[in-house]
This record gives sequence, structure tokens and C-alpha cells, in this order.
Amino acid sequence: MSATDCEQRETSWGILEDLPGDPMIWVLIFSELAAFGLFLGAFVVARAVHPAVFAAGQATLETHLAGINTIVLVTSGWAAARATAAARAGRRPAARGWLFGAMALGTLFIAIKLFEYAGEIALGNGLETSAFFTLYFLLTGFHLLHVGLGVVILAVVSRGANAAGVETGTAFWHMVDLLWIVMFPIIYLVHP
Amino acid sequence: MIPDRLDIAWIMLIGLALATILVPPLVWRPLFANALLLTFAALKGRRIVLDFLDLRAAPALWRGLVSAWVVIVALFAWLASAIVALL
Repeated sequence: MSATDCEQRETSWGILEDLPGDPMIWVLIFSELAAFGLFLGAFVVARAVHPAVFAAGQATLETHLAGINTIVLVTSGWAAARATAAARAGRRPAARGWLFGAMALGTLFIAIKLFEYAGEIALGNGLETSAFFTLYFLLTGFHLLHVGLGVVILAVVSRGANAAGVETGTAFWHMVDLLWIVMFPIIYLVHP
Repeated sequence: MIPDRLDIAWIMLIGLALATILVPPLVWRPLFANALLLTFAALKGRRIVLDFLDLRAAPALWRGLVSAWVVIVALFAWLASAIVALL
């Protein structure tokens, strides 16, 4: 086996290379899905154990704000997908424009979520109020950190706006979108 | 301008998001409402996986893994609520 073959084998990601973007981002995406899956599972089990506590906590949530945030994040995901299509076609200025749109909507999501937190805190609800609010703040806060990180990643890949970079950045962004799509009904809407 | 696959996916996602918000005030039976909410979540997830994450052309293993994550989490949430309601 030649040195080049060895080098290629060491740098190859195997079947992960069939996915769009850098394979490393997919290692992160699968890890995040596993972590959030366990976290959401813990939320569901805790709700089954304490249905009354979770029903009382859920009743104070600003469901309409979370609903608006769903539309904001989904639209941001669409802009990010448009950026990928533009970058693949070699239209870098257009890709950059779509990425800025996605980042602006991501920032709006963060602003709405912070406004929602302010409302909950004003009602006297905090991390230690109940099992529901502990998990609510941890789950949505952990997701919010990912939205912030996603905006930073989109800003970084918008500089070069090349297809590989944009595919990598938007793959992370769509994962953030996917997580919210599942979290929203489970935390805000499903009856305990 | 003719909407393409991404536009259609976005319109479907917005429609499903609005339908999700309308379920609690319109559907009173908790088990049925929960089933609808989580089915809508799974459908939205499927659109994101296939059209936004662009796994439509990816190997079935990856497409299946990410889609299965959505279905398993949604199904687990529904089963837990069903068990509580039936006990």
C-alpha cells in the first residue's frame, strides 16, 4: 500500500461522505440528535410521573409566541436551503443574501424567546419553580444556545459562501430547525 | 415565478405550523389532539429532512436514521401521554 493510499484511508470519512457538507458536522448532528432525544425523553417521562405539575406549568406558557417562533425558524430554514442552492449554482452574492436572511430570522427567534423568558420570570417562574420549569428552561435554553451558535456558523460560512461551506453551515441550521419542530408540540401543546 | 421544491416544502411547513397552533382550541379530546400534534410534527420533520437537509438523494441509512429520530421521539411522547390518560 502506497503512502498516498494510507493518507487517503486516514482522511476518508467512509459512508459519512455521502452526506451534504463536511462529514464532521454530521458527527455533531447525530450526537446532538441523540442528546436532545434523551433530554426530550426525560421530559416526557417526568410529565408522565407528575402530570398535574406539568399541566399547571404548561398553562402559563406563551404558546402563541412559540408558534410565531416556529414560523420564524421554518422560514429561516427555507432561506438557508435557498442559500445552499445558490452556492451550489456558483451564485455567491445570492447565497450570501439568503444566509443573511436566515441569520436575521435566527436573531429574531432569539429575541422572541428572550421576551418569552422575561414574561415567565415576571410571573415568578424560574429554574427552581417546579420540575416542569426546570426542564422547560434547560431544554429551550439549550436549544437557544444552538440557535445562537447556528447564527455564528452561518456568519462564518457566508464569508466565503462556497458550496461546501454553505452546505456544512446550513446542515447544522436545519438540525436546529428540526429540533424545534419536535420540541414545540411536546413542551407547549401536548396534554399531560 | 413558479414555486420549486423548496418553496412547496416551506408552504407545507407553514401550513402544518398553523394547523398545529389550531389543534388545542379546536380538538378537545386529549389523546386525539396529541396524536394530531405529534403527527404534524413528524410530517414537518420529514419535509425538513428530505427538502431542507437535502437527504432525499442521500443513502437510505442516513435518511432513515434522521427520520426515525423524529418518529421515535414523537411516538414516545404520544405513548407516554396515552398511558397517563388511560391509567
